Amino acid sequence: MKSKLFFLLLAIDAGLLVYGTYLGLVVAPREATMGDVQRIFYCHVPAAATGFTLFFVNFIASLIYLWKRSAKADALALATAEVGVVFCTVVLVTGPIWARYAWGTWWNWDMRLTTTLVLWLLYVSYLVLRRSSEAGSTAVLAAALAIFSFIDVPIVYMANRWFRTNHPQPMIGTPRLDPHMQNILFFNMIAFLIFGMLIAWFRYELQRTEQKISAAHIQRAARGTAMALLPAMFLFQAPGSINPHVYLYGGYFSAWGIYAIYLLFLMSKLGKLKKEEAELR
Amino acid sequence: MSLSITRLTVVNVRKDLRLEWRSRDVFNSMLFFALLVVVVFSYAFDTGDSRPVMGGLIWIAFLFSTNMALNQSWARELRNGVLDAYRVSPAPAESLFLGKVLGNYLLVLLLECVMAPLFVVFYNLKSGGPLWQLAVVFLLGTWALVVNGTFFAAMSIRTKNRELMLPILLLPISLPAVYSMVEATSIVLNGDSSPWPYVKFLAGFCVIYTTACFLLFEIVLNAE
Repeated sequence: MKSKLFFLLLAIDAGLLVYGTYLGLVVAPREATMGDVQRIFYCHVPAAATGFTLFFVNFIASLIYLWKRSAKADALALATAEVGVVFCTVVLVTGPIWARYAWGTWWNWDMRLTTTLVLWLLYVSYLVLRRSSEAGSTAVLAAALAIFSFIDVPIVYMANRWFRTNHPQPMIGTPRLDPHMQNILFFNMIAFLIFGMLIAWFRYELQRTEQKISAAHIQRAARGTAMALLPAMFLFQAPGSINPHVYLYGGYFSAWGIYAIYLLFLMSKLGKLKKEEAELR
Repeated sequence: MSLSITRLTVVNVRKDLRLEWRSRDVFNSMLFFALLVVVVFSYAFDTGDSRPVMGGLIWIAFLFSTNMALNQSWARELRNGVLDAYRVSPAPAESLFLGKVLGNYLLVLLLECVMAPLFVVFYNLKSGGPLWQLAVVFLLGTWALVVNGTFFAAMSIRTKNRELMLPILLLPISLPAVYSMVEATSIVLNGDSSPWPYVKFLAGFCVIYTTACFLLFEIVLNAE
C-alpha cells in the first residue's frame, strides 16, 4: 500500500523533473548578461530550498523525539538530515560552477555561501555523531545536537551579514525577475521539493527497517540467553532424581559437541585462508 | 538535607579546581601546547608586522588548548563512574554543568593571563585600542567557547571515539562566535574602529547558547 503510493508519486515526480529540466534548459528565456550559464539557477535554487526545508523538518522531528521519544521521529530526523546534506552538497557544487563563469572565481566568503557551507558542516557533524555514538544514546544525543545546529543557522546568517555580499539578492516576487523565469523556477522548485521528500521517505523506510531488525536482534539474543540457561537447569537438579542415562548421554553429547564446534572452526579458517590465497595469486 | 544549586555548584567548582591544583596535568599541557602554537606560527607566518593576523593567531592557540582542557574535564569523571553516581543522585544536573563550566572557564582565563605576556614578547604586540575593551572581548569569547565546549564534551564522551568527536561537534557550532571574537580582537589591537557590534553579537551568542546548554544538559547526561 505504502510502496504503491510511493511509486506513483515517484513516477509523477519523474515526469515533473524531466519537464522542469526541459523548461529550464530550453524554454526559459536567455539571460542578457550571463547567457545560458544562468540556467544553472533552475537546479541550484530548488536544491537549496529543498535542503533547507529538510533541515527544518529535521529540527521539528528532533524536538518531537525529545518530547515523545518515538523511534519514528528519530528515523525521520536521520532521513531528513542525510538527504538534506545531499541537497546541500548539490548547492555547494552547482554554485561554484556558476560562480566560476559569472564572477571569475569558484568561491568567495560571501554571506550566503558561508552560511550554506557552515550549514553543511553542521549537518555532516550531526551524521558523524550518529555514526559514532554508543548504540543506546545515539537518538538523544543527535536530537540535542540537531537543536543546537538549528539555532546556529540564523546566528551564522547574522554574522555573515557584515560581509559585503556578492551573491545575487533574492529576486522571487520582485519585478527584477522575469515572470516567465519565475514560473519556471517555481515549477522546478515544486518538482525538487517533491523529489527531496520522496528520497527522505525512502531513507526513512530504510531506517525503520533497520530499527526493526535491531529490535529483532535484541529479541533473538534474549531468547538465545534463555535457551542457554536451559542446560543449566540440569545442574540444579538433585543428583539422585535424574535417570543415570541422562548423565551418560549428556557426557557423550557435550564431548562430540565440542569436537564438532572445533572442527567447524577449523573448516571456516581453512576456507578463509584459501580464499585469501586465491585472491593473492 | 537539601543543598541549594549555588552551594552544589561551588562544591563542584572547588572539587575540580582542587583536583587540577594537585595534579596540574591539564593546565601544564594546555600551557605547553599554547606555547608550541606560538612558536609554530612564528615559523609559519612572516611576523614582521603581525598585527593583522594577531587576532586569529591568539584565538587559534586558545581554541585548541581549550579543546584539550574540555576533553579531560569529563574524562576524569568517567574513570571512577562518577557520572553514573551523579545520574542517580538527587542533585540537579544543572549544578554539575555550571560547576564544570566555571571550573573550565577559570582554567582557560588563567591560561590566557599567563600567555598574554608571551604574545606581547614574541610578537612585539602593542594594542592600538584600550586594554579594557580587550578584556571584555576575552571574557565573553572564552565563555562562548567554554560553555558550548563543556556541553559538547559531555556529549562526545558518550561516543566511541571520545577525544576525536569534540572538535568535530564544537567547531562548526562555534564558527560565528570565533568569527566575531577574532574580528573584535583584531579591531581593538589595530585601534581603528569600534569593536562593539562584534561584542554585542558575541554577548548574544553567549546568552542564547548558555540557555540552550542549560535546557538540554540533563537530557544529554541521562541519554540512554
